[in-house]
Amino acid sequence: MARTIEEIETLVEPSLFVDRPWVTIVWDDPVNLMTYVTYVLMTLFNYSNERATELMLKVHNEGKAVVSSGRREEMERDVQRLHEYGLWATLQRDDQ
Amino acid sequence: MTSSNGFTREGKDSFVAVFGASEREVLINLAEQLVEILAERVDEIQGDPLAAMVGITGHDSPPDDEVLLRLLPNAYADPVDAAEFRRYTESVLREKKRAHALLLRSQLLNDQSSTVVLDDEAAQAWLGAMNDIRLALGVRLEVEGNSSEEFELLSPDDPKRGVYAVYSWLGWLQESLLHSLMDDGSSEESRR
Repeated sequence: MARTIEEIETLVEPSLFVDRPWVTIVWDDPVNLMTYVTYVLMTLFNYSNERATELMLKVHNEGKAVVSSGRREEMERDVQRLHEYGLWATLQRDDQ
Repeated sequence: MTSSNGFTREGKDSFVAVFGASEREVLINLAEQLVEILAERVDEIQGDPLAAMVGITGHDSPPDDEVLLRLLPNAYADPVDAAEFRRYTESVLREKKRAHALLLRSQLLNDQSSTVVLDDEAAQAWLGAMNDIRLALGVRLEVEGNSSEEFELLSPDDPKRGVYAVYSWLGWLQESLLHSLMDDGSSEESRR
């Protein structure tokens, strides 16, 4: 007997059907200068000074901030570049 | 440690700083230490006989040393994902950091004068190297939030006090380069 679409969907990885993006998170650390974090976000993501400062402050005040989102491969590239600059970054599936 | 004025922009793509002899020496020494600790990681990986036996060239377990772990952090909270990512990317990251430190060092060694002139690309390398050195010192000093007062209270002959002075000076130097880079008249323009 043929399976219904619903049955098939439960058999396959749900992520294939749900468009839940990946996110890059920058974590607060006591060493990186606030100016530096802002500068890196402007340089890597082409964010305006205002936007980068806002994200930097979120990292500083809340302990972390999502700085980019998209496909997993893109977020892996972002994390790698942030690590090159010495920012503390991780990626994960968006949990919101 | 504040005899120099830090970096200033001269022209479109040129950042200039004048260093005293002791400042130069300290920077060269710290860059060499950074290269050394990154090399320890390579030894750690190549020294794994089991990995060598089965022909694994990449390494996927995080460094034991806190400084190396801060310089080469995990990209995922999940250890399996982190290991997988590390196996394919850590050597590239390590090589970049090494190249930044070596460029800073060679520029100070080659420039017989006390003046260092950076173009934009060199400025990026210097930023990265200075930051990596500060990260390393920060871990060793166990720097936390607002610890400047705590370090100022240390006895004058506590070695940590001297290291903290270097750490602070590097932060100040890095900040001067950042301000020169951002103060190009266009940084206020919206880029988005």
